[in-house]
Formats: sequence, structure tokens, C-alpha cells
Amino acid sequence: MASSGGGGGDRLQVVPSRMTLTQIKGRLSGANKGHSMLKKKSDALTVRLRSILKQVLERKNQSGDLCREALISLAVAKYIVGEEFKVHILENVDKSSLKVSFHSENIAGVTIPLFDKVSMDQDSTEEYEKDTNDGGGVSNQGLSNHQFHSFVSLSGLSKGGQQIATCSENFRKAADNLISLAELQTCFTLLDEAVKVTNRRVNALENVVIPRLENTVAYIISELDELEREEFFRLKLVQNWKERESKSAQEERERLERTSQGFSSFESVPQRVVDGLTLNEEDSDIIF
Amino acid sequence: MEDIRDLVAFNVDDGYIEALVRGYKSSLLTSIDYVNLTQCETLEDVRMHLNGTEYSTVLQDEPSPLSPSVIAEKCSAKLVLDFQYIRSQSTYPLTKFLDYLTYPYMIDNLVLLVTGTLHERDIGELLEKCNPLGTFPAMSTLSIVSTPEELYREILIDTPLAPYFAECVSFDDLTERNIEIIRNVLYKAYLEDFYQFCKKIGGTTEKMMCEILQFEADRRTINITLNSLGSKLSREERENLYPSIGSLVPEGTWKLARAEDVQSVHSILESYDLFRRLLQSSADNPGKSLEDAFIEYEVQLSKKTFEQQFHYGVFYGFLKLREQEIRNILWICECISQRHRSGISNYVTIF
Amino acid sequence: MQSHTKTKQTKLLSVIGDEDTVCGFLLAGIGEVSQNKETNYFIVKKDTPVSAIEETFKRFTSREDIAVVIINQFVAEKIRELVHSYRAPIPAVLEIPSKDQPYDLSQDSTVKRVRQMLGLGA
Repeated sequence: MASSGGGGGDRLQVVPSRMTLTQIKGRLSGANKGHSMLKKKSDALTVRLRSILKQVLERKNQSGDLCREALISLAVAKYIVGEEFKVHILENVDKSSLKVSFHSENIAGVTIPLFDKVSMDQDSTEEYEKDTNDGGGVSNQGLSNHQFHSFVSLSGLSKGGQQIATCSENFRKAADNLISLAELQTCFTLLDEAVKVTNRRVNALENVVIPRLENTVAYIISELDELEREEFFRLKLVQNWKERESKSAQEERERLERTSQGFSSFESVPQRVVDGLTLNEEDSDIIF
Repeated sequence: MEDIRDLVAFNVDDGYIEALVRGYKSSLLTSIDYVNLTQCETLEDVRMHLNGTEYSTVLQDEPSPLSPSVIAEKCSAKLVLDFQYIRSQSTYPLTKFLDYLTYPYMIDNLVLLVTGTLHERDIGELLEKCNPLGTFPAMSTLSIVSTPEELYREILIDTPLAPYFAECVSFDDLTERNIEIIRNVLYKAYLEDFYQFCKKIGGTTEKMMCEILQFEADRRTINITLNSLGSKLSREERENLYPSIGSLVPEGTWKLARAEDVQSVHSILESYDLFRRLLQSSADNPGKSLEDAFIEYEVQLSKKTFEQQFHYGVFYGFLKLREQEIRNILWICECISQRHRSGISNYVTIF
Repeated sequence: MQSHTKTKQTKLLSVIGDEDTVCGFLLAGIGEVSQNKETNYFIVKKDTPVSAIEETFKRFTSREDIAVVIINQFVAEKIRELVHSYRAPIPAVLEIPSKDQPYDLSQDSTVKRVRQMLGLGA
């Protein structure tokens, strides 16, 4: 029947025995469980990834617009103050007042770092603002304005201060937006990687490990069947042989009986027949 | 009396240059030029249009991808050239007057260099970034300076700005105080000095220049007030930065020093006719800041200098108008290159 | 000074771009100059060699204290291969428009990958 299936596929090199069969079956069910779990994980990650993809595209567009707006306000500042003010900004860089800190989130076993904007006021060390989404709104306004002044160190005090402030404000907005975009992008990269790894595992289980185990099981079963059949066949053969034997003995006896009716030597033959019958009886016990 | 002296003697020394400046003035871009410029699609078109103006030679040798900064830089270079020519033709006291005109740039340059040395930047690089109008002889030797102290001892005292420094900035200030405050202190000293100088010259020059300088002083006062609201600048410090000339002195400055918010600044300015008008015009047009209104008024004042003859104000006016023109060109170019069509007409037409 | 802001580690943003872009972001307060004069920004001028940009990009992306690398698109275009093959999650590389070059979202390395995944074609 399924006798050829065992040797055809890729399978483990095992001794086909009842014990290995139970072992392999155990492994197979383990693999199946793992497969369904990984599949679920991959699905969860993919769902999350999909939702992020959309957001990434939206943010990208948005950040493009914000950057352009910021650059225009820079042009306004340049118009009022003159090209030189850029040089002053470049020369006055010291310590960053806008940084990023992290906290992490766990999505289906993948750790995703989330970015937090950290604004630091240079003069007053206490100033600390944490704000993940840029919807800080009105209350934010005063603070960042304040921060601007300490950072830009009063540049444009006598000319174009407001324009520089607007410009700074716009770039800060752009930077905030970029930070959240960076968060999404990092998330995207990590999830993408995680999904790939998970899918790779799922596929490996699905296409390699599980079929291999299944093949092995089939092989062992078929091998065991084969053995059984061989045994059966052998016994049958023996039985047939015995039957033939007994039949020929019968014929012999009948022939002898017939001849004994003609001749006399009576005694010796029934003795042999009795021997053959007992043998036969013993055999049938073994077979059935 | 003095006016008559102007009339009689002015042309002896300064007639030629005044004529020259008036010639330059007539070559300033007109509103038609600006309209043409705003119609440009690319910076190459701008180059073509500028070829038909006094800037014809300026962009000739520029390799092709033009950038707004390059255009502005080249135009400024032409201004510097013209100005230097005027200066080389002048005699005292006009020479001195023209020198005064370069001091603001010098202040900017010095502040830049000081900042650079404080942060230990490469001076050679900074020198390239300095405004050529504000160069001073000692500048080339700056590269040997490595510490702020040396800068102060070796260089600053050799510049024409030395008296201002001596008056209000000590060496300790240089390292400790905010560089922007130093800049404003210097500028204040400069304005006051220039004002006195113009008074000494007298005549039409005095009349013209004093009005301009007073406006400049007022403008600084207002801007400093507005920009320092909510900053760490204390009231006393703020008041110290106000120039002691100008129409706001003394009452307005006293009040402004005590102003706490934009609203109160506006209400203080309401009582001055000029500033009420400027505030009004910026309030009427959204998208126009007070700063824009100031610039417009400055242009008006500068144009007015050309309405009278035999005085030095024209040189000031010419310099300011040319600068404004370059700013306009820069703005238009920026708008074109950033495809910011809606704001492109926010420049100040001169003629 | 930073000890106040929790014990959490904070990282910097960095910029590679033309002068205006860099200035703007410095104005926003992201600039930092370290003790040994190392900056977290890099100005690309007309005559800046590609090798210098590449070197800076590699340096920024391998620096421990940088979380985000902001780069002008036209600059990224010059080192497209490098940007495109960059896959590490942190620092994140973000492309932004510059003032005088047209901005084409579809050239963006991230956008390309995103679109590919959404099946919109590269």
C-alpha cells in the first residue's frame, strides 16, 4: 500500500522502532504547536507593521511640508537680519538642548524603542520637558519660546529677533516631527526584521521541519508494517509448507492404507501419521 | 548760514562723488525690474533678467547651478566694490563719515571673531565669513591670535572700535558676558558717537542724518524691548542697551524698560505718531511684521536723502538702499528656489 | 547638568545637509560640540567631495550617542547606495527636503521599502 512513501522524502536517520516512533511523534506535535504560535506572532507583527507603514508615509509627507515651511521662515529671517546671522548660529553651537531618550514597548515579543523628546534649557538645569506627541499645544508655546532665547543667546536682539524666533520655532516643530518619524521608522525597521525572522521560522517549520518529521513517522510506520508483513508472510510460508507436508503425509498414509489392504505391514505407518499430526497441532498454536 | 557754506564749498571736495552716488542711485532696480524678477521660474531666468540691469557683469562668470546665496554674495561684492571706490575718492570729513558707515559691519565681524576665538574655531575660516565692508587692517594678522585675551590686547585696541570697547567692555566682559549684549553695547556706543559726529558736521547733513540715526536708535530700542520680553535679560540690562539718542528718549525708553509684555509695548508706542502709523500698517496687513514696517520706513528715509543736495546723507541712503535691494533679490531668489510663490512679493520696492 | 533628567540615557540628533538646513536645526537647538571639537552636524557645500559625505554618514550612523540622522535628500542622493543599504534601526536615517532641490518622496529609501511592502511598486 503506502510502502514506497517512507523512503521517498527527506527524513531523519533513525532506527525504525516503536520507541523512536513515539519520540518523533512527540517532536512533530511540538513543531506543530510552535508553528501555530509563530504564525500568530507573525500575524500580530504584520498587523502592527501595516498600521505603521501608513503612518510612516503620512509622517513623511507631513515632515516634508514642515521642513519646507521652516526653510521659508529661515529665508524670512535672512531677509530681515541678513545672511550673517547663520554664521553666528554656527559659531554659537555648544551643548544640545534638544535630545532624545528612550523607553521601550513590547509587541509580540519584539522590543521596540520609543523616542521621547527631551528639551533642556541651558541656563536653568531644571527645565525638563517630555512630550512624545507634538500636540503639546498652547502650554508648550511659552516654554519653548523661553528656551529659544537661552539657546540662541539673544541673537537678533536688535533686529529680526521675532523672525529668528519663528524660524527656531518652526525648525523645532520640524525636529519634533522628525523625532516621531524616526520612532516610526525604527519601529518599522525592527518589526520588518522581526516579521522576516518569524516568517523564516514559520516557513522553516512548515516546509522543512514538519515535513521531515512527518516523513520520518511515515517511514517508521511503513518500516514497521513491512516487518510485520514479512513476519506474516514467513509464517504463512511455514504454514503452507506444513500443510503441504501434512497433505503429502496424508497421501502417503492413504497410499499405504491402500497398499496395506493389499499387503500386510500395518503397524509402522500409523505411527508416523500420529507424529505428523502432533507436529501440526503444535505449529498451529504458535501461529494463531 | 551753515546751509550756505554747504552750497558754496560742498562741490569743491565732494561734488564728484555725490554725482557718482546719484548715478548709482538711478541704476537701482525699479518696481518693473522687480515684477520681472518675480515672474522668473528658475534662477537662470533671474540671471538673465539681472543681465539687463546694473548687475549685468556680476553673474557672468558664475558656473551654472546658481544658489540664492551665491547671487546675493556676488551682488554684495559689487556693492563693496562701489563703496570702496567712493571711499577712495573722498576727502576728510567725508572719508570719516564713510568710515562711520562701515563700523556696524566691523562690529559684526569683531563679534563673530570673538565668538570664534572663544569657541576656539579656526580663525582663517571665520575671516572668509566676515563682511568685507567691515574689514580692518589688523584683521589679516588675526590668525596668530589664539586666546581671547590676546585678541583683546593685540587686535581690538588697534581697530577704530577701540574707544567703544574701552568705554563699555572690559576684558572680563569679553569672556563672561553674553556676546549679543556686547554687540548691542558696542552698537549703542557707535550710534551715539556717529550722532555726535553728524552734529559736528552740521548743515543739511546734520538734519538728514540725525533723523535717520534717531530712527535707527528708536528701532533698536523697540526691537530690543520686544525681543527681550520673557528672556533672561534683566530690566537694568535692557535699559543699558538703549541708545541715548532718538525720539523715544527719555520718557519712552524709561517706560519701555519697564514694559512686561507686547501689549504694553504697543500701548507705549501708540503715543508716538510715527510708531503708531508703523504699528497700524503692520496690523492692517497680515503677514507683515513690525520689522517689515521698519524696513519700509527706513527705505523711505533713505530715499528722502536724495531729495536734497550738498550733504552726506546720500551716501548713507545709497548704502542702505543697495543693501535693501540685495535683500530683495535674495528674498526673490529664495522664493523661486523654494517654490514659495505666495510670499514672493513680500519685498520692499524702492523706486 | 543632564543628571537631573532622570538616569535615562539621552541621545542626540544629527544633521547632514546644506548650510541653511543645518543652521535651521541648530537654531532648533540640536547642535552639540563635544570636548574634542566633534560636531553632530555636517555642512555639505557645492564642492564637498562625496567621500567626505560618505565618511560622515558612516561616522554618524556608528556613533553611540546619536539617535537620528537627518539628511537632505539631495545629499542622500549622492550616497544613495550607502543610505539604501543602511538597515539598522538606530540611529534612524531620515531624508528631508532641501530648499533649492525638488523633493521627491518616491526617492526616499524608507518610502521605497514601505511602498514595496504595501505592494504599490517600488
